[in-house]
Amino acid sequence: MFRKISPPVLLLLPAIIVLVAVVLFPLLLSLYSSFTPFRLTKPASLFVWAGFRNYQRILTDWVFWAAFLRTVVLLTIALNLEMLFGLGLAMLVNKATYGKRALRTAMMFPMMFSPVLVGFQFKFMFNDNVGLINNALQSLGLTDQAIPWLIDGNLALFAISVAEIWSSTSVFAILILAGLLAMPQEPVEAARVDGCTPWQTFRYVTWPFLMPFAYIAMTIRSLDIARAYDIVKIMTDGGPARRTELIWTLVGRTAYADAQMGLATAMAYISIILSIVFTIYFFRKLAAARTQIGAEW
Amino acid sequence: MAQVSLKKLVKRYGALEIVHGIDLDIKDKEFIALVGPSGCGKSTTLRMIAGLEDISGGEISIGDTVVNDLPPRDRNISMVFQSYALYPHMTVRENMGFSLKIAKRSQAEIDERVNEAAKILSLEALMERRPAQLSGGQRQRVAMGRAIVRQPDVFLFDEPLSNLDAKLRTQVRTEIKRLHAKVQSTMIYVTHDQVEAMTLADRIVIMRDGYIEQVGTPDEVFKKPATRFVAGFIGSPPMNIEEAKVEAGKLVFKNGDSLPLPVQFKDRVKDGQQVVFGLRPDDIFPTGHGLHSGEDADVHHNEVSVVITEPLGNETLVFVEFAGREWVSRMLNPRLLKTGERLQMSFDLSQAHLFSAETGKSLAL
Repeated sequence: MFRKISPPVLLLLPAIIVLVAVVLFPLLLSLYSSFTPFRLTKPASLFVWAGFRNYQRILTDWVFWAAFLRTVVLLTIALNLEMLFGLGLAMLVNKATYGKRALRTAMMFPMMFSPVLVGFQFKFMFNDNVGLINNALQSLGLTDQAIPWLIDGNLALFAISVAEIWSSTSVFAILILAGLLAMPQEPVEAARVDGCTPWQTFRYVTWPFLMPFAYIAMTIRSLDIARAYDIVKIMTDGGPARRTELIWTLVGRTAYADAQMGLATAMAYISIILSIVFTIYFFRKLAAARTQIGAEW
Repeated sequence: MAQVSLKKLVKRYGALEIVHGIDLDIKDKEFIALVGPSGCGKSTTLRMIAGLEDISGGEISIGDTVVNDLPPRDRNISMVFQSYALYPHMTVRENMGFSLKIAKRSQAEIDERVNEAAKILSLEALMERRPAQLSGGQRQRVAMGRAIVRQPDVFLFDEPLSNLDAKLRTQVRTEIKRLHAKVQSTMIYVTHDQVEAMTLADRIVIMRDGYIEQVGTPDEVFKKPATRFVAGFIGSPPMNIEEAKVEAGKLVFKNGDSLPLPVQFKDRVKDGQQVVFGLRPDDIFPTGHGLHSGEDADVHHNEVSVVITEPLGNETLVFVEFAGREWVSRMLNPRLLKTGERLQMSFDLSQAHLFSAETGKSLAL
């Protein structure tokens, strides 16, 4: 029977079979299930066609849109701050004349911890009764109240951002530091001779060179944050009263707690669009920044 | 006025001293070349003048201002780097106008000065390109353009031709010389290539191990080298240099070969003194093939054997065996020579140099 198949197809067949089984089939199945009222508790519901009902429901559901917007807000704030701190950190480490390598390793420590543990740690630190933060603030006399970090909606989002930023600033720092190390020194010296102040040197010479590195970090981190789940799940579990609900905590809750798998997959498909949009945006920026500095990589 | 003066200039990295208190006065509008082998401190000196390296001791002044503690941007200098150091994200026009933009000059003035510099260096056709789209020679011209636009008091060149291929190097070299004639600024040019120094500079500063060996016009350093090092460094092919001992009016080399003691040194050396004898390839020639007839009083003839020849068309470099080593000689109106051939050589001893064997200093001074 193989004789009828052309050799190129035949040779590619093993790969095709594996890809179909592992990637394509689940993808199509999940896409299909987003058009059904599939509930984990009622397997038969997988075979009921519901058309666009799930999508209609989501697009008119303010709970979903609130989570969606909150994710975008968290992404914007965390990404910008991480970028800023990472840049500062990288510039400082780059200035070090001694122990640069040790500093570089130390910088990566936060990345070595499981996000779940980071979540627990920050949950403890931000605890309104026994947490470090309130204790410190009270001891310093800055407040005499127990600030409800994880109970007030806005403060909770702030606390989550802090945990995110703490654990991932080093992604920016490492990549930007790589850029700084790869950067030729002569243009910087030329700028100094050309009359630039240190700030102008940074603004017009160093920063354009670092931009591609920053965009790579942005792409990686935007995907990371867009699928943020673990830290939020541990610290607030989307609470209080869904004030810190992000897309994926909502998807998780809908799929497993509420058992509405069909609805959850529909949400997931819409959310992925968010990630794709960000990725395309940053890749465009990256490509532009690379041509700008005439990068040969 | 932009004379540059270095007084007791010292550069130290920790305990290591790189430049040992050098003094140098560079006149306004002068083209000075700092030349020497790698690690002699010439680039460090230039970078100290630019303000890119701190000064460990001594004083640098540009014009009438001591600039020791001024940042580079306040010294009114321009620098051209070996690796061009163009801003990769800016077009040629933006690169050249950058310093003026930073200085907040009007767009009209920037355009005017950039266009003028572009014309001087024939860069007009390349103005909208980025450095990555230019060849090495073009990039270096842009770097020079960027320097001109600033209209600085002093131009600093740090081995600007080292990254270019041989043909381009001579081409850009001529352009630099033309540039100096046009802009009439003080120029300080660092190179390890003595040919560049000789062709470009009004005066050459020869450096070695953080000291200045000699300062002089190209003619002076070529004809009257102050030290054995300068004698060997300037000139291509290099001067033939060999140690000898003065014995009864003769210079006796280690292997027993000898030459008469040049008359001009008769009163300057003692019998038994160890000296270093030097003679340029132009002053040793197969008899009848030299710059002059070889019949003058102070020309000595010796028979030697040919080791190898390098024909260059109008002349041939002949390597001959004498005094236990190979000597280079320049043969004009060459004829074909065979390896091992015995040859009558003329040594023009009126052009000979003698240096002290201990200090390396010239005995002619």
